[in-house]
Amino acid sequence: MNDFENRLRRALRPVEPADGFAERVMRALPAQHAPANVVPLVIVRQAAPVSAWRRFSAPAALAASLLVAVFAGQHVATLQAAREEQAGLAASRELMQALRVTSQKLDLAYEAVQRPAPAPAVEEENRS
Amino acid sequence: MNARIGLTLIALLLAAPACAQTRGLLKLPEMAALADKASESVTVTLDSNLLGLGCRFLNAEEPDEAAAKKVCQSLTGIYVRKFTFDTDYAYPKADIEGIRRQLAAPGWSRIVEARSKKESTDVDVYLLVDGGKARGLAVIASEPRELAIVNIVGNIDLEKLHDLEGQFGVPELQIESGKKAPKEASKPKAQ
Amino acid sequence: MNPESAQGEEPLLLERARRGDEAAFAALIRMHQASVFSIGFRMLNRRDAAEDLAQDVFLQLYRKLDSIESLEHAGFWLRRVAANLAIDWLRRAAYTRAAPLEDGVEIPAPPTCEDPLMDRELVRLLGELAPAARAVMVLRYQEDRDVAEIAAALDMPVNTVKSHIKRSLTAMRGKMIGAQLLTAEELS
Repeated sequence: MNDFENRLRRALRPVEPADGFAERVMRALPAQHAPANVVPLVIVRQAAPVSAWRRFSAPAALAASLLVAVFAGQHVATLQAAREEQAGLAASRELMQALRVTSQKLDLAYEAVQRPAPAPAVEEENRS
Repeated sequence: MNARIGLTLIALLLAAPACAQTRGLLKLPEMAALADKASESVTVTLDSNLLGLGCRFLNAEEPDEAAAKKVCQSLTGIYVRKFTFDTDYAYPKADIEGIRRQLAAPGWSRIVEARSKKESTDVDVYLLVDGGKARGLAVIASEPRELAIVNIVGNIDLEKLHDLEGQFGVPELQIESGKKAPKEASKPKAQ
Repeated sequence: MNPESAQGEEPLLLERARRGDEAAFAALIRMHQASVFSIGFRMLNRRDAAEDLAQDVFLQLYRKLDSIESLEHAGFWLRRVAANLAIDWLRRAAYTRAAPLEDGVEIPAPPTCEDPLMDRELVRLLGELAPAARAVMVLRYQEDRDVAEIAAALDMPVNTVKSHIKRSLTAMRGKMIGAQLLTAEELS
């Protein structure tokens, strides 16, 4: 290895993470899940609301539903984009792997062809 | 009667482009039995949709991926089956014969036939030429402990395929003439 | 603790970690944390990102302990996962540009610190390489891995690894000469 490469090795000496790194990783390890805490649902019937509330409750509920729908739609779109990105990255990795195998085998053909041919000639199959 | 003839003609017309698209496409079995025996297997099946998706997500800033992007944009399919075994010739040759029979069909030409007794390696490279253009590429590489079958379909731009050689470390191979053409400049020197 | 001495001192470390011994797994982390963190740091140019990456890698190791055959295999596995994960992160365009080195970042100096300016420049130039080339150079010159192992770790043909090394060295040397940090004679 020459001088430049030695300098590069010196410059790239490993760097330690901040103190307590191992402890932080251990804290992040998956823990046992606590059993679900089931709270019984209590339905409370209320007295009839006053008329002012009645006047505004329906539109308010509608606005709330619309907001939920918009956010849900955005969430779905975000999820779909994330799924597509995942699928795309997976496909691109497969594509690169396929091209690598192709190039490796073409390389093999080249190397085999480069070697001196054996002395006795062998009849080749004729292809139609 | 006329309706029947009309429908038949439509079916034929619809079939023609499909036939054109699938020219160059081999029927590669999944080879599940071989995969079970292999210590390592690679199965890639990228039809035009998945290939297009994968191509979009290649990183143009990476030299090898940028070169791959240029190649894959005109392709409609890439199919690879590669199996690595722990013992010699764990795969029966009959598995390859079915594929070779497909490559005997009109249009396919074997452009490289490499046999190495020393390495016990056989490599065949086939090209399908249709209307003066390369539409299909097939490689069958048989080594004692590895079998690989590659099928690439689409408008194969041999020049762009050559460009991959520099990125993937493959020396130039004059695929058009079927001759090998060593070009030392393109081969990276050993470090 | 380095893997070689650990193999003599703690032959059952891996086995204990597999059986859920937290102290054993923590020892495994400490054994490899500098290597994994540094791969992340050299690839991503940021300590916070490098720590996130390193933590991800060790969490993956925790899940895959059953498939790790030996301490040596653990080292290879960690380098492979760290390098490939860093390449993936870079490709998501989160960290595409080489960020300037943080102020006060420690570059471990050799016992006689010859030229910290040159060290800093070399690291900066490394950060300008494309992700795959950068990973090859880190595994070669930081981790001191041979070409075959780098090829296996990054799932690349050996010739491609050699190409990356050759082209990267040529590019970095040229820029060092251009910046007048080196003369052509010093590079021979």
